[in-house]
Amino acid sequence: MIVDLQKCIGCNACTIACKVEHNTPNDIHYTQVLEYEYGEFPNAGRTFLPALCSHCENPPCVPVCPTRASYTRDDGIVLIDHDRCIGCGACILACPYDQRSRVEDERTVFHDGETVFENNANAAPPKGVAVKCDFCYHRIDQGGVPACVETCPTDARIFGEWDGGAKPLRKMAAQYNAKGLLPEKGTEPNVLYID
Amino acid sequence: MYSDKIEKNGDTLTSTPTVCLGCYNCCGVKVQTAGGKVVDVIGDKEAVNSHGYICAKGRARFLDLYDPSRVLYPMKRGNPEKGIGVDPEWERISWDEALDTITARLAQVRENDPRGLVISHFDLPGYGISKNFGAAFGTTNFHWNRADYCGAAPHWAHLMTNASFNGEIDFEECRYVILWGTQLGHLAETIPLHSAGEMAAARRKGQKLVVIDPFCTNPAAKADQWIPIKPGTDGAMALAMLNIMVNEFGTYDAEFLIKRTNGIYLVQPDGHYLRHADSKKPMVWDQGAAVAKPFDADDISDPALEGIFEIDGVQCQTAFNAFKEHLKQFDAEAAEKITTVPAQIMRDLTREFTEAARIGSTIEVDGHQLPYRPAAIHFKRGSGAHKGGALGSFAIHLLNIMVGNLDVPGGQRGVNPIGPFWAPDTDKDGMIVVAQHIAKYNKPYPPQTPKMPETLDLHELLPASIFTRGLYPMGIDNPEKFGIDYKPEILLIGRTNPMMNSHNAEAMGETLKKFDLQVSFATFIDETAEFADILLPDAHDFERWDLFPANDPYAFIAPGPGQWYWHMRQPSLEGPGETRAWTEVYMDLAERLGILEEFNNLGASNWGISDAHRLDPTKRHTVKDIAERQAKTLIGDDFTFEDVARTSCLISRDKTIEEAYPGAFVEGRVPIYLEHLIDAGAALKPIIDELGIEWDFRPYTPLVRHIQCDEFHHEEGDEYDLLIVNFKVPFQTQSISQQNIWLDEVSRANPYTYNVMMHPSAAARKGLEDGERVLVESHHGKDEGTLKVTEIVHPECLGIPATLGHWARNLHVAAKKGTSFNTLLPPPNVKRIDTLSGQVDTCVRVRVTKLN
Repeated sequence: MIVDLQKCIGCNACTIACKVEHNTPNDIHYTQVLEYEYGEFPNAGRTFLPALCSHCENPPCVPVCPTRASYTRDDGIVLIDHDRCIGCGACILACPYDQRSRVEDERTVFHDGETVFENNANAAPPKGVAVKCDFCYHRIDQGGVPACVETCPTDARIFGEWDGGAKPLRKMAAQYNAKGLLPEKGTEPNVLYID
Repeated sequence: MYSDKIEKNGDTLTSTPTVCLGCYNCCGVKVQTAGGKVVDVIGDKEAVNSHGYICAKGRARFLDLYDPSRVLYPMKRGNPEKGIGVDPEWERISWDEALDTITARLAQVRENDPRGLVISHFDLPGYGISKNFGAAFGTTNFHWNRADYCGAAPHWAHLMTNASFNGEIDFEECRYVILWGTQLGHLAETIPLHSAGEMAAARRKGQKLVVIDPFCTNPAAKADQWIPIKPGTDGAMALAMLNIMVNEFGTYDAEFLIKRTNGIYLVQPDGHYLRHADSKKPMVWDQGAAVAKPFDADDISDPALEGIFEIDGVQCQTAFNAFKEHLKQFDAEAAEKITTVPAQIMRDLTREFTEAARIGSTIEVDGHQLPYRPAAIHFKRGSGAHKGGALGSFAIHLLNIMVGNLDVPGGQRGVNPIGPFWAPDTDKDGMIVVAQHIAKYNKPYPPQTPKMPETLDLHELLPASIFTRGLYPMGIDNPEKFGIDYKPEILLIGRTNPMMNSHNAEAMGETLKKFDLQVSFATFIDETAEFADILLPDAHDFERWDLFPANDPYAFIAPGPGQWYWHMRQPSLEGPGETRAWTEVYMDLAERLGILEEFNNLGASNWGISDAHRLDPTKRHTVKDIAERQAKTLIGDDFTFEDVARTSCLISRDKTIEEAYPGAFVEGRVPIYLEHLIDAGAALKPIIDELGIEWDFRPYTPLVRHIQCDEFHHEEGDEYDLLIVNFKVPFQTQSISQQNIWLDEVSRANPYTYNVMMHPSAAARKGLEDGERVLVESHHGKDEGTLKVTEIVHPECLGIPATLGHWARNLHVAAKKGTSFNTLLPPPNVKRIDTLSGQVDTCVRVRVTKLN
C-alpha cells in the first residue's frame, strides 16, 4: 500500500470504515489517522499520518510469537490466528509501529442494547487475543481492496502489488520517493508513504 | 461489510440505494441489510456526487438505528415543569391520542390566529411538506432553524452575484485557492465527497492552497500557507486587499467590470444611479460620443469604467470610480492592527492571487473560447457569522469579482445558477436576479419592501436579506416589541436542536417555554425534545421515502461540467416500534384538520408535478406516491421504481456549456456598488422609528465597509480576554452525530475535538497547563472544558470545535463530551446581529480559569 500524505485530509473515513468492517471493540482501531503538530505560531501547523500495520517483509512481531499465531501469508499479508493466540503480548511489544492491541474487553457497540452485531458473522475478536490490521484479506481474496482504501474520499490510500496486478505500485513508489516508517528498524514495510 | 461474512451466517445481503441524511449534502449510498438489519452503508459508485466514496459520518450512522435510546412510541409529558435537567416523566400514549390532542389544539389556534403555529425543522428534503402544511394552515412561521448559523450572509453574497445559493471552486482547473473561514473540500461543506476528491487531486498536481482562519483547521493543515486572523475582522482584511489590488497594483479585469458589473453605471452625489429621464434606466458614460446613455443603448462605443463627468450640471462618477476612491481609506497597515495579519502578507497574497488569476487569458472548451481565471476565493461562515457578516463576506467576494473569475473555468463558481428548468433573470437595471427555483426564500436583490413585522423571524425588517431564521427567538420572546399582535402558541419541531445549536441554553429554554404546546418529532430525546409536551417517534431516513429529487438542485448537484442527476431516497427497512416518518404525520394532521385540499393544491404548484401526473387534491397521498409523480415528471413517464433498484442516482443528461460555465454566457450584471441598499435603508427607517427600537443602519450603504463586532474591543486588564472561535471537525455533524459510539471513539482520540484550544502565551499568562479542566465563561453563559495548549490557534482566541457538550439524560454517549460553543453566546439582539443579512454574530469574549 502507498499512502499519499498530500491527499490525506484527516477525515477519518478510513478509521470508521475499518471499524465497521471488523467490528473492533471500543477504542481498538486497526487503522486511524494520527496527528502531529509542528512549528511555532504563526508558522505552525498540523499533519496527518494514517497509521496501520505495515505488513513488513521482515516483521518483528512474527518470530517473537511463542505459539506461531502470528504468521506471514504467501502473498505477504501478516496475520494473527486467534485460535492459536494466547495473548502473551510479545508481538505487541515487538511492533515498532505500535499497531497491535490486546483485546481486554471484547464487547463492541451498545453493550446494553440489541445491535446488528449480536448475531452476526462479523463477530468481534475474542477477549485476550492480539489484534491488528489484516489488510482485509477476505476482500483481497475476492478480488477487492481493503475497506479503508475503498472508502477514502481523496484516494489517499493506493493498494496493489508492487509488481504485477492491475496497477503495479513500484513505479509510483519510485516516482514519488516513497518511504516506509522507521527504516532504521530494518522491517522492510509494505506500507509506504509519499509526500 | 463484505458479502462472504454475511453468507457465512446463512443470511443474504440486500443492498438498497438511497441518499444519506448524515448532513444536508445528499450523497449517494447503498444501505446493506442482512437478517432484517442494516449491517453496513457503503458508497454508491454510480452516484455522480459521491463516486462511491463515503465519509466517516455516513459510514457510522447506521448505528443510530439501533441505539437503545431511540424513541419508539408516542409519549406525553407527565411533569408540567420544564427546564434543563428536569425529568419530563414521559408516559407512553397511542398515536391516536397523540394526534387527537395535537389536532384539537391546532384547530383552536387556527381559528384564533393560525400564525400562532411555528414550524421548525432542519430536514431539507422534507421542507416541501412542512412548508406546504404551514401555508395551508395559514402561518408564515415555518423553517425556524439555525440555517443562519453558516450562511445568511455568505449565501446572500452568492445569490446576488453567482445567482446561486452556494459557492464553490472549479478545483480541476484552479491553480490558486484561498479558503477564507471555511473547510470546502474537507468533508465539512458543500458537495463534500465530490470536492474532497477534486481538491486533493489538484493539490497533488501543484494547486496552491492558502487558508485564512484563526484556527489551523484540517484544510489549514493541508495548506501551503495558513494565515491566522483575528475573528470578525475578515472584512477589514479583504478591504485592505481590494485597496492593494485596485489602487496600489492597479490590476483588475476591466473587461469583466465593464461587461458584467454595474461598475460603469453613473452615480450621483446622493449615491443613487443617474437614471434616464424617461426610461429610468441607469446611465453610463460613452467616451466615444462623450455623452451619457442608458446602459443598454445599442450605440455605446466605449463605456467609461472610471471618471467624473458633469451631466446637466450634476457631477457624476462611475460606480467603479466611487468604489476605487472609497477603497483608498483601507490602508493595509491600519488593517494589520485590526486583523493581526501583517500588511506584507496581505500584499504578497494579493499579488499572488491576482497574478494567478491570469486576467485576460482564455481557454478553449468544447469549441468555445472562454475566460480562464485559475484563482479563486471561497468563504462561508468564518466571515459571515459576525455583526458585519454580509458586507464582510461581500468584500471578500469582491476580490473574486475584481479578477473576473465568476463561473468561468478555473474560477469561483456558484452551484448551478442555470439548470434544466431554471435560469437567472436580468432586471430592468440590467442586474442579475437569481432564479426563483434557487432563491426559494426572499431574494437579496431586488430587495423586498420593508414593513411592520408579521412573522416571528422579523424578516420584514431586513428587506435585503434572504432569510432570518436565527431571529425567531427575538420574535417569540417579545412579539409586542416588534409590533406583532399575536403570540406563539404551538411549536412543531424535529431534526433540529435549538437548545444546542443557537445560543445560551437557559435563554433558549425560556424561549421554548413560551409555547403552550411543543410537539417534537424525535429519533432521540435530545435537549430540545426534553422540553416537549408530546413526543412523536420519528423514522430514521433509512426508514422513509422523501420527495423527489432528495438532492434539491439548488445546492446539491455538483457545479461545473458534468451531468444532471437526481436522487431518490427510499427506505431500506421498516422502522422499529411505532416510529413513523414526520412527513407522513404532517399529512395526517392536514387530513384531520380538513386542510388536505389546500395542502395538495399548494403541492401541485410547488412540487414540480406535470398535469399528466397531477394529484387528486382531495386524496391523502403518501410521500412515495408524490415522489413517483415527481420522478415521472422529471425523468419521464416510463419511470418505475425498478429504475432506482441498483442506484438511487438518475442521470437525465449532460450539462450544456452554458450550464457548466454560466459566467461566460449570462448577461445580468453583478453589483460592485450596492445601490439598492440606499432605498432599502430609507424605506426601513420610518418603520424602525415607529417601533421605537434601536437599529444599525450602517450596512445600508452602497459601498462595502467593515463593521466591528460588539465584543471586539478588549480593555487592558479585563480578564474576559479571549475571543472564542468555532470550527467543524470532519467526523461530527452539527449537534446530531455525537451519540454515535464510533464517531465518539474517533473524537476522543483526536486532539482537537473534545478539548478547547489555547495558545501557550495565553495559557502561561493565566497559569494554566495542558490537560487541565477549565471553566470557560462569557458574559452570557459558561461551560467546562479540557485545555489543549497548542501553537495552532490564534493567541487572542480560544478554539472550541463543533457543536458539543450535550446533557440530555438519554444521550449517554454524547453527554458531557466536549465544550458547548453556542451556550457562550447571547440570544440574538439588535447589537448582536448583522442588520443587513440577519446573521447572528458569534464573536464573544471569555475568561478561562482553572476548574476547582
